Amino acid sequence: MSHSANGMVNYLNHDKGIKSWLFTLDHKRIGIMYLVAVSLAFLAGGILALLVRIELLAPGETIMSADAYNQSFTLHAVLMIFAFIIPAIPAVMGNFALPIQLGAKDVAFPRLNLASFYIYLIGAAIAMSALIVGRIDGGWTFYTPYSTSIGDGILFVTAGVFVMGFSSILTGLNFIVTVHKMRAPGLTWNRLPLFIWSIYATSIVQVLATPVIGITVLLLFLEKAFQIGIFDPALGGDPVLFQHFFWFYSHPAVYIMILPAFGVVSDLMGTFSRHQVSGYKFVALSSVAIAFLGFLVWGHHMFVSGQSAVSSVVFSLITYLIGIPTGVKVINWVQTMYKGSVQFKSPMLYAIMFLFTFSIGGFTGIMLGVLAIDIHLHDTYFVVAHFHYVMMGGNVIAALGGLHYWWPKMTGKLYNETQAKIAAFLVFFGFNLTFFPQFIMGAQGMPRRYYDYLPQYEGYHQLSTYGSWVLGVGLFLIAYYLLVSVFKGKKAGLNPWGALTLEWTHTTTPPDHHNFLETPVVTRGAYDFHLARHLFEHGGEVTELEGMGDGASTLPETPATEDATV
Amino acid sequence: MSHTEHHITSLKTLSIVFGALVFLTVFTVFTAQFDLGAFNVPLALAIALTKASLVVLIFMALIWDNKVNAVILAVGCLFVVVFISFILLDTEYRGDLSNTFEQTLMDERLEAERAAMGDTEAAESQAADH
Amino acid sequence: MSTPHSDQPAHVKHYFVSSEQQFDAAKMGMWLFLVTEILLFSGMFVAYTIYRSWHPETWAALSTALDWKLGGLNTIVLLGSSFTVALGIHHIQKGNKKGLIINLILTFLFAGVFLVVKYFEYSAKIEHGLLPGAAFDPHGISYGFDYATYNVPYGPQFFSIYFVMTGIHGFHVLVGMGLFAWITRKAIRGDFSAEYYTPVENCGLYWHLVDIIWIFLFPLLYLI
Repeated sequence: MSHSANGMVNYLNHDKGIKSWLFTLDHKRIGIMYLVAVSLAFLAGGILALLVRIELLAPGETIMSADAYNQSFTLHAVLMIFAFIIPAIPAVMGNFALPIQLGAKDVAFPRLNLASFYIYLIGAAIAMSALIVGRIDGGWTFYTPYSTSIGDGILFVTAGVFVMGFSSILTGLNFIVTVHKMRAPGLTWNRLPLFIWSIYATSIVQVLATPVIGITVLLLFLEKAFQIGIFDPALGGDPVLFQHFFWFYSHPAVYIMILPAFGVVSDLMGTFSRHQVSGYKFVALSSVAIAFLGFLVWGHHMFVSGQSAVSSVVFSLITYLIGIPTGVKVINWVQTMYKGSVQFKSPMLYAIMFLFTFSIGGFTGIMLGVLAIDIHLHDTYFVVAHFHYVMMGGNVIAALGGLHYWWPKMTGKLYNETQAKIAAFLVFFGFNLTFFPQFIMGAQGMPRRYYDYLPQYEGYHQLSTYGSWVLGVGLFLIAYYLLVSVFKGKKAGLNPWGALTLEWTHTTTPPDHHNFLETPVVTRGAYDFHLARHLFEHGGEVTELEGMGDGASTLPETPATEDATV
Repeated sequence: MSHTEHHITSLKTLSIVFGALVFLTVFTVFTAQFDLGAFNVPLALAIALTKASLVVLIFMALIWDNKVNAVILAVGCLFVVVFISFILLDTEYRGDLSNTFEQTLMDERLEAERAAMGDTEAAESQAADH
Repeated sequence: MSTPHSDQPAHVKHYFVSSEQQFDAAKMGMWLFLVTEILLFSGMFVAYTIYRSWHPETWAALSTALDWKLGGLNTIVLLGSSFTVALGIHHIQKGNKKGLIINLILTFLFAGVFLVVKYFEYSAKIEHGLLPGAAFDPHGISYGFDYATYNVPYGPQFFSIYFVMTGIHGFHVLVGMGLFAWITRKAIRGDFSAEYYTPVENCGLYWHLVDIIWIFLFPLLYLI
């Protein structure tokens, strides 16, 4: 086995060739493959978003026809939601970090893990093929009867969503079993990193909710193919029933998107504040509470659909309850910083950014949950701004934080911190410039999904489009310096952030093929910095592995032949 | 390594349960021959639920299994109940905004009855009274 | 590098600490999968509940169009197959490999009988136009009975739900047959023993769930 730049055998170089990647059962490599795939989906969806924003720069036709516009925003949504946000944090960072944080050699079902990656790719390919087959417009919600009256492309999109759903279920199932059965000795539930807790809660939602979108799109598929008349009012069906089915999955899916972000932010808050995350148990259990409450509120998407008033009232009330566990988290994160010694490294900048953007997204969500206000704001840009503050300001910002946090561990290289800080600023500024004006014009009555608009909204639309350019520049800068770091970056140390979770304290950088050189024994919680003072005797960066004795930072090369025997 | 013995269900237990399942199938077909009015559906569901419980507890050995699997199943069933009951909350009360008050409902019923009888004059005079 | 667990039986994967951990993990994974199956079917049960509560007269009229004798026969057949799976697991737990193989083959055959009966039911429906949605067109006379009397409002919804529910269930039976063919082959090859029979256990759990779904479908569609 040849020596890597680090002079160590690790999961990246223990085996070479494209086959060793495509058929790998190693959760870390699968995580990296997911990273590549979801980044491409994000790129495609992002370019579509920029095109949509350019079209809206001025009233009337700017760069594309109304038809092309409708297809662009629909495809933007389908790609971003099903192919990017849902797998982003769980499948990329969950796959990479979760087994290591648990002290396990792999997930419980590695084969299933690889299968779910390919199922995801197949599903994404089927959904994309709709582009060629026929036009898909009308948004990502596929409301009947419109969705069954447009071209056959809808068959492909629904089939694609169905298949990607399987991938999501298998990943969730795998993680739940892994968390239950594969924890290292001493790693009790109370010592789990909060990232694990939130991925665990996410997985529960994935397993319970995703099958329902399966049956929903299957019925939609049959409705289109055989006119079975379950959802189509012309055949005696009920279109509102479709909305119930759709949102029974798609509202909990919002928590599939945001819960992992909570986990990443909790880990970042603890690590960069050098302090136990305050209210650990509350933060952990609030994830589970949100997962369960998230199933009881889907009707708040349907206040103007014609559902009964009594169910609207019930759904509205339960929606307010979600604010409680979410508030518990936000307050505890702030308190963690208040008591800690905060280091403003780039991952932490994203975590702090998240507090602002997510809180705005969360509060406007409560506003929209109020029945009377929703009647006014329904289907306006206010809703668009709200969910972008949650999805992008929540999930994507946290995903960027997580990516910057685990990047040195994944690749063994450090990125340029100055460029990272500039990019973080551009993303924050660009994001708010894009979406804040949308709150205002939405409240003034600008409807969502419209191709054209009255001149009075032009100023807000221009601000929003300029903001999207700043945001785009920030994101491309991130892609640039991360790619550069792979080839030219400085070698990363074992634990550059001084974190206390197992992937930093007990593995080499990048980790060994089997994660650990010896099975770790956990003796403290994930953020018990007061029990780990010995690690910080030499300053901020920790340069030795725990439990390995002296000289662990210069471990001898592991003979590669051993891999085959295990 | 620690090896805990798996529970082995005896042939006798399995046979009794199979017998009970067949008996309940015959029983549910038998009861379906009679019209019990409002009790038709609950009785059929109760029998089906009993049969399903027997399969889950004995054939699938959940009664002797790790409790976490029982919790998983219970949570799954709970969400099926949530799914059905919350949708019924809509479908059973659809259109309730227009007839919120008792009086409105009574008026509508009265009007419908009159229309059915073809007694249009009475309806008109009723309208004139208001 | 930790030393491989050379003291472990061959079937234990390297990332598990013990055979017990591997068995528990596999079983828990299976239970989670079963829950996803329950929720998948729940969508159909919801559609059934809603349409039944909206159009009870349609349900009363059309449940007679389904033959309870064939449905009842299939119920007994599936219960029998569940019984043989449970027997098979009982035998392998006691180390009786022959008993396992016989019961697996019986299960496979029962599943086949179920599908054959289903085939006859479906073809009778198709012949007389008792079809879902837009294709609904009851016609023809059989044994002096005029099928046109089934042409009631919302009849298409009833048969949409009937075909989708039993169709998805039938698909699961088909998958189950594939699974049993696979593990029968493994059993004949001698892969299973009292120490290792995880695939049998998990296929058995899957099969019992398929049985349970039918336990609910039978009275809901054929009887009431």
